[in-house]
Amino acid sequence: MKNLLVARRYAQALLESAGTLQAVEDTARDLESVAAVLNASRELRLLAGSPVVRPARKEAIFRELFGKRVGKGTMDFLAFVIARQREAHLGEIAEQFSLLRDMKSGVVGVEVASALALTPAQEQDLSRALGRATGKGVRLKFTVDPAIRGGLVVRVGDTVLDASVRRQLELLKARFIAGPSTN
Amino acid sequence: MSDVRPDEVSDILRKQLAGFEKEVDIYDVGTVLQIGDGVARVYGLTHALMSELVEFPHGVFGMVLNLEEDNVGCILFGESSEISEGDTVRRTGRVASMPVGEGMLGRVVNPLGQPIDGRGPVATEKLSPIERKALGVIQRQPVKEPLQTGIKAVDGMIPIGRGQRELIIGDRQTGKTAIALDTIINQKYTHGEKAKREGIKPVYCIYVAVGQKSSTVAQVVDKLQQEGAMDYTTVIAATATDPAPMQFIAPYSGAALGEFFRDSGRHALVVYDDLTKQAQAYRQVSLLLRRPPGREAYPGDIFYLHSRLLERASKLADDLGGGSLTALPVIETQAGDVSAYIPTNVISITDGQIYLEPGMFNSGIRPAINVGISVSRVGGHAQIKAMKKVAGSLRIGLAQYRELEAFAKFGSDLDKSTLAQLRRGSHLVELLKQGQFVPMPVEKQVVALFAGTYGFLDEIPLEHVARYERELLEVMELRHADILGAIASTKDIAPEVGDRLKEIMKQFTESFRASVKA
Repeated sequence: MKNLLVARRYAQALLESAGTLQAVEDTARDLESVAAVLNASRELRLLAGSPVVRPARKEAIFRELFGKRVGKGTMDFLAFVIARQREAHLGEIAEQFSLLRDMKSGVVGVEVASALALTPAQEQDLSRALGRATGKGVRLKFTVDPAIRGGLVVRVGDTVLDASVRRQLELLKARFIAGPSTN
Repeated sequence: MSDVRPDEVSDILRKQLAGFEKEVDIYDVGTVLQIGDGVARVYGLTHALMSELVEFPHGVFGMVLNLEEDNVGCILFGESSEISEGDTVRRTGRVASMPVGEGMLGRVVNPLGQPIDGRGPVATEKLSPIERKALGVIQRQPVKEPLQTGIKAVDGMIPIGRGQRELIIGDRQTGKTAIALDTIINQKYTHGEKAKREGIKPVYCIYVAVGQKSSTVAQVVDKLQQEGAMDYTTVIAATATDPAPMQFIAPYSGAALGEFFRDSGRHALVVYDDLTKQAQAYRQVSLLLRRPPGREAYPGDIFYLHSRLLERASKLADDLGGGSLTALPVIETQAGDVSAYIPTNVISITDGQIYLEPGMFNSGIRPAINVGISVSRVGGHAQIKAMKKVAGSLRIGLAQYRELEAFAKFGSDLDKSTLAQLRRGSHLVELLKQGQFVPMPVEKQVVALFAGTYGFLDEIPLEHVARYERELLEVMELRHADILGAIASTKDIAPEVGDRLKEIMKQFTESFRASVKA
């Protein structure tokens, strides 16, 4: 199980200590790159999750890896997380941090899945339309998911606007199973 | 069967497919964080309501039971093995509900109202939330109509009224279910023509089986069918193989169905067999949801679990239709321990209890009701006058008998009055024995108890009491049907009827004694 409680607390603390908006943005970018590296490297993930390796050694490894690539604040944070032996949660902390940052700056993260890649013009249109609909700034993340067969699946927070062909087929199936329609 | 024309098929398809293009489905989702035996923790579902239904993949449904800061605890009504961490959970926007209606009668369904008797879909048009707040004081009135169980010992001494909550408690294998089933079977007369003439309204029955063996439930259904009781009965079954959440909600589903009848001005009886198993199922899901355990590891709201269920039994005020919902919860004790947590809770909630004892059961006194500690706190007002007259001294007679019985074991020198009391008591005990699945109409009960309390039985040898009762009732039915009719219609024993009854019994007893000697 993901330990959201821990992740949220560390993310909250980091957000508060980052201070200015610019610093927050920088930290977010740093954290994202750390999370990306963690995601990409199985060895690093195993190292972070291993209780056998001493914190001092882990810190040395992290410093060597990220010391030049991330800001000083972020590096200190990484060292602190390692000292508290919560490095296994770094991925979740990064996730929570970007959520909290969005909440603070009134931006919503929106995930858009489509069966085929959208053209830049379509992405622009969608971004404007969603901005109007939510009344907030939107940060779009586009993914291509052939499994939805066609249409779009837009996820804003917990709410899903499902206009995919897959969902339509599911609903159609349910309607056929349920028997003759009443209308 | 005529052939289906191809254009007909495409017509229907086209109709079904209409509107296919324009639908955009909007729903809220969450992600499964953790999945365990019958429970799941879900991240997201921010706007989920308490006891809302949520849909997991593979058609498994769940219900929200815990709302926490960053996750939602759900109980699952299906196979948890098919769901894995990271699966998407969808809100349905409706709270857990039970389909209700007349179509439910005669059916065997699971706690979600889905049929499990293999007889196709249930025709209902309404959904009722399984968790509903019980009615307040204004909407109720005192219990005043009797609910005849057809069991002499119960109807005579522990009368149950419509809208009452009477607990049936005892060890395993003491006949708890038998009493409940007899009561359901006895409601058959309320659906007949005779009852209609006498102004007795029909009682619809719901039997909720919680955590029982599937074979036991099949037996119960079979028996009810044989007796013709399924026509007005619904069986809601959450057997031992069903997930604990199903067992936990089963009684609430039963109450929801009972309320449907009650709120439409009719009368319903719901048997919860049994609430011990339901409490255990609730304990299981509570502990899995990491709610703190209390006494006997039950969660802190275990009392509320049962009190909110049993509070839904009620007799409605006349301007609301005057319907009623009677509840017969069943509790199984361990080695007669009524001071365990769940038994004491339910005893304090209900309006009385029928206590069954294994000792009495094994010595052949069946139903094995311990009259001394069985009570009915409100049913007395509902008892018909005729029964009050004959059964009034029954309880005292039996109480004195029990006291003397223990005492008489020590010495043989007993005075005459003591011996008389002992003889009366032993005959009454014999008279109150009754077979299973042979409920007795109230007027016959009155006649049988009349013979007992007015001492006509005293001179009959104990082993002949059962035959005496049987033959007396035969005589009454064949030659004096008018007396039985008078008791049934006036619900009282008029003085002249009483005199005639005494006369008839005197003659019958004499001839019976002659037959015993011969």
